[in-house]
Amino acid sequence: MYGYVRPVKGELKIREFELFRGVYCGLCHELARRYGFASRFFVNYDFTFLAMILAGQSGAETCPRRCVAHPIRPVRCLGSCSSLSMAADMTVVLGWWKLSDSADDAAGAKALGWKVLRRAMKGAYKKAAARQPAFAGAVEENLTALRALEAARCPSVDETADKFALILRSIAQGEPDGSRRRILEELFYHLGRIIYILDAADDLAEDVKSGAYNPLRYRFEPAEGKLSPEDERTLRTGLQLSHNALAGAWTLLDENPYSGILSNTIYLGLPATTQAVFAGTWREPARLHRERSYL
Amino acid sequence: MNDPYSVLGVSPQATDEEVKKAYRDLARKYHPDNYHDNPLADLASEKMKEINEAYDTITKSREQGSAAGGGYSYGYGGSAYQAQNAGQQQSAGRNQYIQIRNLINANNLTQAMAMLNAIGSHDAEWYYLMGSIYWRKGWMDQAGQYFRTAASMDPTNIEYRNAVQYMNQGGQAYRPTGGMDMMGGDMACNMCQNLICADCCCEMMGGNLIPCIGCR
Repeated sequence: MYGYVRPVKGELKIREFELFRGVYCGLCHELARRYGFASRFFVNYDFTFLAMILAGQSGAETCPRRCVAHPIRPVRCLGSCSSLSMAADMTVVLGWWKLSDSADDAAGAKALGWKVLRRAMKGAYKKAAARQPAFAGAVEENLTALRALEAARCPSVDETADKFALILRSIAQGEPDGSRRRILEELFYHLGRIIYILDAADDLAEDVKSGAYNPLRYRFEPAEGKLSPEDERTLRTGLQLSHNALAGAWTLLDENPYSGILSNTIYLGLPATTQAVFAGTWREPARLHRERSYL
Repeated sequence: MNDPYSVLGVSPQATDEEVKKAYRDLARKYHPDNYHDNPLADLASEKMKEINEAYDTITKSREQGSAAGGGYSYGYGGSAYQAQNAGQQQSAGRNQYIQIRNLINANNLTQAMAMLNAIGSHDAEWYYLMGSIYWRKGWMDQAGQYFRTAASMDPTNIEYRNAVQYMNQGGQAYRPTGGMDMMGGDMACNMCQNLICADCCCEMMGGNLIPCIGCR
């Protein structure tokens, strides 16, 4: 997806870091196991977060595994479990749509490359969509609605963000326990909103330059791709309010083995990401401002 | 009822101080001010009740019969609507507005929105209720715009002004010590602000937040 949802590494305990790496690598292995080697490229931090939050109360088993990225020293990976499989399925579904979007938007040789990739991943997508039909349905429905809003140059950040937020919210729909489902729905909805708005803020300068749609262009009319300090404050206040709602839901969830990592991600990671996006340092090389790669 | 010690997350051998600290930390987490007009407010207040009961049970059993004080008595009047509603409605559509407020409180946003849209003339209250619906939906940007319109149409209304102020300062939520916020500001500073603001809010409704943390 986007990679905005990640813990602040320096604030993790070493035990937590190893656990986190185990889930990330576990998700990557699970992708390969279920959808073949190429699907590994879809692995991302956002769905690692989802796999951890959806995990049950007890920790799953881990086992050391080697891979292309870690050929010599194996990593202690989380073994296959239901939350990891679900996260893998959803990673492929959403990843394929994102790929598909890039293929439609790109021009020239780049477009050809994306289209080849789309063709190659089509089988994996079909398999994943069949395993998670409700989620795949929600993704298709809301992305179609989002495309229509984009074409109409929708000036509402809330309305466009809502579509992406509903996609994430639908992840909770299979949860049998009513209270837990409500909590997860609220949490995922606001997480989706935050991701969408951060992505819009991150892309703003580029979109203004290229003329592509970005809700912030029509909501705030930024001069030369930059929001005025007052508009930035308004936008960040909105993010803060969503973050409050997310934090309120998070507090109500029962603890699980990943709670420390998840707390770090929510209370430190998301604010740090937001800070970097608005400071314009998010895309800069890792060695300058942030730790881009953990693994 | 669950074991009161496991509710508070302490062992039965914990000292009174440890029990009190665990209780305070949890109460800070699930405090109703963190769930202001929040769709999960009922779940948070259930938790709060559980914690209060657990703390009461422990203190009572430890004090062996001597009257133990109840948990936090915040005196928070449930939903902000019920508390502030009375006497502030304006002339036309009064009954309808009350109905819409009730729908919003019951989280029936679709119907509340439909009723509101059916009203032809848009006064300050109309904008305020529209803002409330968007707030509940989680559409924070739109909610803010409607609240600001309501407050500028009727600058004397405290409820509208409070809503704008609450939004402008970034609302309120529990964050652990050292947690950061999304505004890029100094968290410690914001926390004091929120606490003072929450205290004012509690006092208005007959409770008192800051002394009640201090005295227990």
